[in-house]
Amino acid sequence: MQFSYEVKDSYTEVKGSGRLNLVAASKLREVVAEVVAAGSSRVAVNLEETVFMDSSGLGALIGCLKAARQAGGDLRISGVQPQVKMVLELTNMDRALTPYPTAEAAFSDD
Amino acid sequence: MTEVLARRRFRGESIPESIEAVHTELDSLWEDADFVPEMDRMTFTTAVIEVASNIIQHAEPVGQIPVELGVDISVWPTRLVAKVSAFNAKEPFASPPETGLPDDDSEAGRGLALIEALVTTVTFERQAATNIWILTRKSRTVA
Repeated sequence: MQFSYEVKDSYTEVKGSGRLNLVAASKLREVVAEVVAAGSSRVAVNLEETVFMDSSGLGALIGCLKAARQAGGDLRISGVQPQVKMVLELTNMDRALTPYPTAEAAFSDD
Repeated sequence: MTEVLARRRFRGESIPESIEAVHTELDSLWEDADFVPEMDRMTFTTAVIEVASNIIQHAEPVGQIPVELGVDISVWPTRLVAKVSAFNAKEPFASPPETGLPDDDSEAGRGLALIEALVTTVTFERQAATNIWILTRKSRTVA
């Protein structure tokens, strides 16, 4: 899985392309830790190109959400594909990680 | 008469990289078995990867030989079946596993609940230092 990030006006967009599984979970944690350490605690994770997520990947997202909140910000997700949506719903995590249509929309309300 | 319509197998080291190899086998299986409904492919793939990841993360070797991961996935006319094995592994459960969902803050512990929600049956067997999970999902693959 490939990750990249881009600093925007009021948030940083992290893009993940591929499968968010056991292998990619630690990479996501590293990328978000780097973004937060650089001073950007408002993180939008764009999952448009994330075709698969398992419970390891979900665990990493929750860890990153906690890291962002501890730094005074938040983490929001966008562009969720059907398999990722299914995993969020079956684990009841679609409340804590509400999917937004786009990364831009994720931080547009505040 | 029942017969296997498509099948893939994997056996390799119980390391995170093997997950990608199992994914590749699953993708290749669905190419052969494109008649399986998309929802069944998605749910079954997720369940198989969950069990394989659980083995990679938690299985401990019995002796000096490292744990090996085995996956055997088959498509039948009315069901999907996966046999996911941890070879040379200790018995996994000291007590019956928790299957409910943890708090929203918890970063682990959702795998078993997810597996149960995704398949029709999940059974566990232990034979000669091998832990075997058998997953089935009803799927009407032939019209």
